[in-house]
Amino acid sequence: MTNDTSQGVPARQARRGGAHAAPAPVRQTASQLSASLPVLEVDDIPQQTGTPVITFDHVTKVYPAQPNKPALNDISLQIYAGEFIFLVGHSGSGKSTFIRMLIREVKPTQGHIYVADEDLTTMRNWRVPYLRRNIGCVFQDFKLLPNKTVFENVAFALEVIGKSRHVIKTQVPEVLRLVGLQDKLNKRPDQLSGGEQQRVSIARAIVNRPPLLVCDEPTGNLDPQTSRGIMDLLERINRTGTTVLVATHDREMVDNMRRRVIALDRGHLTRDQDRGVYGFDV
Amino acid sequence: MSSFAYFIRESLKGFTRNLSTTLGSIVTIFLSLMIIGVFLVGGLVIENVVSGVENEVSIAAYVADDASQADIDKVEDYVRGLEGVASVTFTDKEQALENFRSSNTTDIIDALDGQNPLPASINVELSDPQLVEQVAGAIWDNSTYQQIRDGETKSESLKYGQQTVEKLFTLTNYVRYIGIALIALLIFIAMVFINNTIRLAILARRKEIAIMRLVGASNGFIRGPFLMEGALHALIGSLLAVGVLELLRNTALPKLQGALPFLSFDVSLNMFLLIYAALVVAGLLIGLLGSALAMRRYLKV
Repeated sequence: MTNDTSQGVPARQARRGGAHAAPAPVRQTASQLSASLPVLEVDDIPQQTGTPVITFDHVTKVYPAQPNKPALNDISLQIYAGEFIFLVGHSGSGKSTFIRMLIREVKPTQGHIYVADEDLTTMRNWRVPYLRRNIGCVFQDFKLLPNKTVFENVAFALEVIGKSRHVIKTQVPEVLRLVGLQDKLNKRPDQLSGGEQQRVSIARAIVNRPPLLVCDEPTGNLDPQTSRGIMDLLERINRTGTTVLVATHDREMVDNMRRRVIALDRGHLTRDQDRGVYGFDV
Repeated sequence: MSSFAYFIRESLKGFTRNLSTTLGSIVTIFLSLMIIGVFLVGGLVIENVVSGVENEVSIAAYVADDASQADIDKVEDYVRGLEGVASVTFTDKEQALENFRSSNTTDIIDALDGQNPLPASINVELSDPQLVEQVAGAIWDNSTYQQIRDGETKSESLKYGQQTVEKLFTLTNYVRYIGIALIALLIFIAMVFINNTIRLAILARRKEIAIMRLVGASNGFIRGPFLMEGALHALIGSLLAVGVLELLRNTALPKLQGALPFLSFDVSLNMFLLIYAALVVAGLLIGLLGSALAMRRYLKV
């Protein structure tokens, strides 16, 4: 992976036409939007080179409860290793469906999803856990076990995939140091603040060092100050080479960080933009 | 191997989590397996009796009190000439009473007041039990026997083992049907109990399960503790049943043999061990199947 932007940009634009199939007029307004904001120099935006780690190929998802209103409608996009991506959209726009399909909680009705060259639509059920070991997941409601300590909560993720006690003893304190909770190993989740709980949940998601980290509204329950801390943490994780996908409502965060933004609106992909902004109702 | 220890640890937690339902499923498994065991042992005893009767099939041809010795000798000679007959003996009235006295309590004989209602009989031992119908028919068709017979019909005059065997068979058939119905019902109840216990265990751990799925625990790893819990309950239940049956074998069976001397309770230890093994295996199957059913319905992996 190289940081030479001058070489990367044309290549990316050339690919734009095919891979990111967002409607042209919408992209125009979006680029005008980002032109109105100060251009930030972000040096470490990774190159979209090599083969994509995630490919959505004309993916449509229709839930049986709402047969006339697809949750996702003909989505095609590609995500490359090392990218930091915001997935934005209103409630019900299909963000959560997008993420649930990525970890194969649900299968697409039409189209194909490829993660690391493997087709999720034809993947055998017994292989799904091995897919999920390569995708860390963080949720708005933390999903921590209340009767376990911070250390045990993070260790649990390694325990249940059969890691040895030695690996757990070395890896868990290390990852907790990374998220800044090295002093709270023996606290229980209800003794922690919301931000700290989310850090524990991030630690649990990355303790197995997955190449992809998916966050569904990680800052939805947190105040702006704490949210910034969480985003800094996600950015640091991204810098270690982990691909990070964040579904969020947090306008300020998206506008400040100027990373790739994928916007969904009622199941349609309306915008896919590098160094983008939140962009709704402006 | 470490995950096996984890399964055991997690399944043991089920005891403290839902003590009442856990005990419920253990007790139902215990009861159903014990009843199955009792029926199996009972079946073996009946089998013993039936085969005993079959092996010593003999025909008793009752003879009227006023029959002359010449006629009796004639019939005896005739019967000796039949195919499949091993020996022919004559039992007179006095002897019949003596035989009756030896196998029954003296009260009945005292109540007879010195009278003797028992008929004399020609006893035919057969070398081949298969020929019993044929020999009995031949005796009945003999014209001399027709004159000295005691009783109006063939079944009144001629008693032979086959009838006892048939009676036993109808009896054992009824017992068998009732037993099978009872066992099926009990197994069903045991499965429902296990199903319910495992369902509660799954509900109690649904948060953990959600996280396990999220971080990529394999399906076997998620299911393991629940299968183990079902199997553990079944194992405890079946071991209890085996223990009680062993206790019954050592205490109740000799007493029962003493009270019912005409039945043979002589079932070999090997047979018992076989029954015990079958019970434990059946219990494990019930437990695993019950928890598998619960997981199918309540545990999405």
